[in-house]
Amino acid sequence: MSGWEWDRVRVSRLGTRMGRNRNNYSTLNERVRSTRTTTVRLGHVTPQAPGHRTIYCNDREANQPVRFKGNSISTTKFNFFTFLPKGLFEQFRRVANLYFLSISILSATSISPVSPITNVVPLSLVLFVSLVKEAFEDWKRLQNDMSINSNLIEVLLDQKWEPIPWKKLQVGDIVRVKQDGFFPADLLFLASTNSDGVCYIETANLDGETNLKIRKALERTWDFLTPEKASEFKGEVQCEQPNNSLYTFTGNLLFQKQTLPLSPNQILLRGCSLRNTEYIVGAVVFTGHETKVMMNANDVPSKRSTLERKLDKLILMLFGVLFTMCLIGAIGSGIFIDRKYYYLSLSKSVDDQFNPGNRLLVAVLTMFTLITLYSTIIPISLYVSIEMVKFIQSTQYINKDLHMYHNETNTPALARTSNLNEELGQVEYIFSDKTGTLTRNLMEFFKCSIGGEVYGTGITEIEKGIAQRNGLKVEDRKSANAVHEKGFNFDDARLMRGAWRNEPNPDTCKEFFRCLAICHTVLPEGEESPEKITYQAASPDEAALVTAAKNFGFFFYRRTPTMIYVRESNVEKMGKIQDVSYEILNVLEFNSTRKRQSVVCRYPDGRLVLYCKGADSVIFERLASVNDDLRRVTREQLEQFGSSGLRTLCLAYRDLSPDMYESWNEKFIQAKSSLRDRERKLDEVAELIEKDLILIGCTAIEDKLQEGVPACIETLSRAGIKIWVLTGDKMETAINIAYACNLINNDMKQFIISSETDAIREVEDRGDQVEIARFIKEEVKKELKKCLEEAQHSLRTVSGPKLALVIDGKCLMYALDPTLRVMLLNLSLNCTSVVCCRVSPLQKAQVTTLVKKGARKITLSIGDGANDVSMIQAAHIGIGISGMEGMQAVMASDFAIAQFRFLTDLLLVHGRWSYLRLCKVVTYFFYKNLTFTLTQFWFTFHTGFSGQRFYDDWFQSLYNVIFTALPVIIVGLFDKDVSATLSKKYPELYMEGIKNVFFKWRVVAVWAFFSLYQSLVFYCFVTASSKGAKSSSGKIFGLWDVSTMTFTCVVVTVNLRLLLMCNSITRWHYISVGGSILAWFIFIFIYSGIMTPMDRQENVYFVIYVLMSTLYFYVTLLLVPIVALFGDFIYQGIQRWFFPYDYQIVQEIHRHEPESAGRSDLLEIGNQLTPAEATRYAISLLPQERSKHTGFAFDSPGYESFFAAQLGVYAPQKAWDVARRASMKSRPKIPLKK
Amino acid sequence: MMSSNTASSSAVVAGSADPAAPRRNSKKPKYSRFTQQELPACKPILTPRWVISAFLLVSVVFIPIGVASLFASRDVVEIVDRYESDCIPPGINDKVNYIQTPGDKSCNRTIKVPKHMKKPVYVYYQLDNFYQNHRRYVKSRSDAQLRDNSSASDTSTCKPEDTVNGTGTLPIVPCGLIAWSLFNDTYSFSRNNLQLIVNKKDISWKSDREHKFGSDVYPKNFQANGTLIGGASLDPTKPLSEQEDLIVWMRTAALPTFRKLYGKIEVDLEQNDVISVTLQNNYNTYSFNGKKKLVLSTTSWLGGKNDFLGIAYLTVGGLCFFLALVFTLVYLVKPRRLGDPSYLSWNRNPGGR
Repeated sequence: MSGWEWDRVRVSRLGTRMGRNRNNYSTLNERVRSTRTTTVRLGHVTPQAPGHRTIYCNDREANQPVRFKGNSISTTKFNFFTFLPKGLFEQFRRVANLYFLSISILSATSISPVSPITNVVPLSLVLFVSLVKEAFEDWKRLQNDMSINSNLIEVLLDQKWEPIPWKKLQVGDIVRVKQDGFFPADLLFLASTNSDGVCYIETANLDGETNLKIRKALERTWDFLTPEKASEFKGEVQCEQPNNSLYTFTGNLLFQKQTLPLSPNQILLRGCSLRNTEYIVGAVVFTGHETKVMMNANDVPSKRSTLERKLDKLILMLFGVLFTMCLIGAIGSGIFIDRKYYYLSLSKSVDDQFNPGNRLLVAVLTMFTLITLYSTIIPISLYVSIEMVKFIQSTQYINKDLHMYHNETNTPALARTSNLNEELGQVEYIFSDKTGTLTRNLMEFFKCSIGGEVYGTGITEIEKGIAQRNGLKVEDRKSANAVHEKGFNFDDARLMRGAWRNEPNPDTCKEFFRCLAICHTVLPEGEESPEKITYQAASPDEAALVTAAKNFGFFFYRRTPTMIYVRESNVEKMGKIQDVSYEILNVLEFNSTRKRQSVVCRYPDGRLVLYCKGADSVIFERLASVNDDLRRVTREQLEQFGSSGLRTLCLAYRDLSPDMYESWNEKFIQAKSSLRDRERKLDEVAELIEKDLILIGCTAIEDKLQEGVPACIETLSRAGIKIWVLTGDKMETAINIAYACNLINNDMKQFIISSETDAIREVEDRGDQVEIARFIKEEVKKELKKCLEEAQHSLRTVSGPKLALVIDGKCLMYALDPTLRVMLLNLSLNCTSVVCCRVSPLQKAQVTTLVKKGARKITLSIGDGANDVSMIQAAHIGIGISGMEGMQAVMASDFAIAQFRFLTDLLLVHGRWSYLRLCKVVTYFFYKNLTFTLTQFWFTFHTGFSGQRFYDDWFQSLYNVIFTALPVIIVGLFDKDVSATLSKKYPELYMEGIKNVFFKWRVVAVWAFFSLYQSLVFYCFVTASSKGAKSSSGKIFGLWDVSTMTFTCVVVTVNLRLLLMCNSITRWHYISVGGSILAWFIFIFIYSGIMTPMDRQENVYFVIYVLMSTLYFYVTLLLVPIVALFGDFIYQGIQRWFFPYDYQIVQEIHRHEPESAGRSDLLEIGNQLTPAEATRYAISLLPQERSKHTGFAFDSPGYESFFAAQLGVYAPQKAWDVARRASMKSRPKIPLKK
Repeated sequence: MMSSNTASSSAVVAGSADPAAPRRNSKKPKYSRFTQQELPACKPILTPRWVISAFLLVSVVFIPIGVASLFASRDVVEIVDRYESDCIPPGINDKVNYIQTPGDKSCNRTIKVPKHMKKPVYVYYQLDNFYQNHRRYVKSRSDAQLRDNSSASDTSTCKPEDTVNGTGTLPIVPCGLIAWSLFNDTYSFSRNNLQLIVNKKDISWKSDREHKFGSDVYPKNFQANGTLIGGASLDPTKPLSEQEDLIVWMRTAALPTFRKLYGKIEVDLEQNDVISVTLQNNYNTYSFNGKKKLVLSTTSWLGGKNDFLGIAYLTVGGLCFFLALVFTLVYLVKPRRLGDPSYLSWNRNPGGR
């Protein structure tokens, strides 16, 4: 066996090299075909470093010289010393900051009309705030690392297991990992408490698969289990250098002068956890950042929101405006300057800037002067304000939202990054993982049909959803005898406690229960009592079925390789319990082509029965052609189950005669022992006996959806969001869940592009990789073209059906080819829902990127496992499901929520508000700085383009950071167009975000127009009205009186303008707006009231008192702001009246409602029906139409190998497994023959 | 059946109470109105009624103010006499040379009073095209020097009018271009050959006099720099705080056209009075084609003659009234029902999502 393994590994390595050496592909194909293995890659595989590493196990001194890396990990950005330089560097990578740095430097020169203070004060304030934030975030990362690093692990020291923290672990150490523990590093598996040297691991953190995988230690190392024995272990491991390929490992163990080849089967990767094994002993091979999982963890790409990218464009535009303004001023100054203005004393030696002798130089220098003067047009505090707003939004609102707190897992929502809040308000595409995200991965026996009679009265989540959408509230009622345990949620007294004996056909019931109890590959574990036993099954479906049998009184409690023991109650007469043993003669295993599983068993009385369960399609084909009535009834019931979102299986049996069985069994044994094409032969033999079956009935298992998923999806799709399901599951499962979530329904036109067609299978059986690739590509191309034509046709018809696309991973691999990509994109964008099944993590990312880049839409990925990491990182927004065991997805995500349904709150409430608020913040910043700077610009025309500043230095520097800073932040925090309840009641409001209604260029243009208008009002009105004497004592105002007057008007107006754009005004608005205006007055009272010892040059001393002593001040202060706001007011009035936004209509509809106390659901419709009536009514409303969908979705990754391995037979990967793995490959490196 | 229902529902209640019980290490966020974003807020909706009332309110407030300030402005009697070209003796072509050559440049003007002018009558000079707000000009002063005798040599900002001939040893007080270019036309008025006294006291802002110009600072080396004289010279025996012409001049104007207060005539001027002005036309505005005007004006509670505020108030008030009418009309003719769901975009075009 080990020899075979070695061979396989070598081939894998060749496979990796294949990409580099394309000429050898044909010979390599031979190799690949002969073993049917391929390398699986997650992302980019780093080229292997030359050479190999040698590890001396259990010998720290011997490993010393090599200096392997330690096991501690660090994900922080800075350390104590690099913080300041690196942090500052990061800050100055922002153009705005760099710009202000250069302006600050420029303003320290004589060329500047303003003192450096004007720019240095805001800049340093901004930098300080940003750095504090960075430091805080890095500190949190550090704490997280520290908690991981200080987890304890038992390591062998002095013949004892000593617990040490993870970070102290070294390469070569011997460690012991207990059940449910995580592996602290990549380990070489030496010994296990299980008798045959195997252990079970869960790899959910790596690939999201929750089924158990088997690892088997080399036989030679099985004994090193106790500390005494283990300390004697002195092996030498020679293996590859650390790399990021999760599924390969090459190396040898030099042990007792023997060279034992190692394979991935002996490697336990960090991130996995141990299951069903008391403990294992292993030797550390790779540590810390060199472990495969860490090598796979790419740097989380820092994401910037779309709004911010658009903001960059806005800033760029402002630079353009700035440049134009400066150019106009510079040209003007070159023309203006003249010796005739003798009072400027230009005739003597004069500095270059005013030298009329060189007008070009004057213009150039004035250009720089004006840049410093107009620098306020770039809102420096914008970025820091936005960051502050977003930080509070995420830490205070999202993290603390009680509506996103999950009580069961004690998990609040967590915003891991704060710079994507507003992106949440613009999402158009959601890519969702299935298992763990939409479903709980919890299978429960829910209903069944026996002999045409339906049992089970429960209502599924989807039925509830449909009922609710029809305006009914369905209460989850359970009768007193409803039984609910893990895997069993069944409510029907007719079958319980032997009551089935009174049913019309008790014999069929008996067969049904026996089939459940016998026909499976489940292992019982623990005490043999119904309460304490646990079933170990490869798929939760199977466990659910066996649990069901147990509850019906057929308690399966022990299994040996040849026998199954069942404790049967109430069979012969009520109350009698007897243990029955059934001899298992053959197990015809489940696989994806057969879609069924059969067991041949012999009753104690000698009766020979074949029990079979499987998909309705395959079972119905093989039924004996009697009782067509039952068949029809059952099919109808299957369809009903299917449309309720249940996973169905048909049960059938067949009595065998001993002669017939014996002759068949010979063929079976022959097939089993054949060396070539064993699988195919086994399948063929199975066909011989799996026929003339008698239908017993069918089971319906609820793949428990996460709470509220259908309702959430319904809401989200009303909000204009399209949801795609990307799952590694089989097509049937995926479609089933899509039905359950109401993503696909019977009204939709479905396009299914599958690689599981006969044509493709035929080509695949021939095994020529090149041919397969070419053929599938052709097929996919054909399909895509056909579907696209149909889709376009049906879109052209007015009321065409909605479209849904289902595509599997293998086809997707070819559809993502650059030549077909556009077609795929066009097709999928036309579809309301898209389901991709059997996709690899990489493909998930590729699909996400396709939409993100190809369609330029905002995408969101949500998932819970490590297999979703790449998708989470590829999307604009990644969301991890937290509260479960695996943290990989959460660690890679931008937001973590505990339940899928919290997306409603996250997107429709937080996202939407955040978007609205930030749009307001950004446009307001734009407006206030433009207005302010434009007044300065107009003044330039009246100063001979000399670049004289209109405002005092301190006015200008504090304008952004004090006089207008706080209110806009308040708006960014508190503005609410409609309440949270209404946001969820009218999900359509969300579409305003998708269309980016509030931050279009048109919106910016409107703001710019009013900036222009207001600045002209400020400048012209104040200067025009200030001409002549301004007091009854005939005295005249000077420059600084006029400028202070203007500045007062600007501050008052700009602050009031903010109130005008608020949808809701809290007292914080009043406080901040009032406070800002007050701050200005307090400032100017103090500033102009004192004589500073420093010479302030142009003196604003006493200006405000002079101003306020005149009536003119008050008259102007009343006039100018009102005139300035006049335009905006008319605009808003007309806009609201004639072109109202949706949110404004909703505001109006609900204008008389008080803010609902708490976000209690307004949707509760009080109906006068009794609960029973309501339920009945709800059920009667359910769609009654027949669909072809019957809900077969019996999936079991790793199913057969698990069982076989338990029996001591190592089964190689099965066809579907290989297919799946192959489909996970990014792209064939083989050049295709044309 | 019913009884079993109630039994199970009570069991459910009992069961659900359990997880709600406080548990240790709960990460459940605490409720606060802030974090749940439920702060009480007023939600103004700009309904047509609001728009109309706002317009009406503005017009009601603005029109009276406008009328009042327009009346105030109209009450003011203002006489403007532009003299810079008339005061050049005929036959002189090179005006600049004329004005720069020393000598007597007196010039007589007669002004007829159009209307009764109540005392005090303020005398202004108005300059045109004179950029007192030019950056080079504005900067060219030393506030420290003006304020305090001890900082007399603090002239670094005053170049080129900082020290005598740029030697650096003899600081000019007051230094800088502003002081150097001090206006030096003088006016004397007579009515019926009777001298009208021009009071030159209290023509500057009190705060300037008392705080910006020191009472111990005396002019030194003023207008002694080079051959060209910028403007008026100062009496070296009077401290700066008493040199009110300088103080007025040094409160630099905001715009290139500006008035400065020259003095006050403390008697009433009757209608049709003929006032003869004898002025010394010394100041050079000819280099840059600047106008010079002599202004006699009374004041109202709002200051001098300036119709702008009144007109602006009236216009805005009137416009608001007009808009209120228009909006009311539109409101009556084509009303939009508030909160009409048919206006929602998804109701308007259900297919066009």
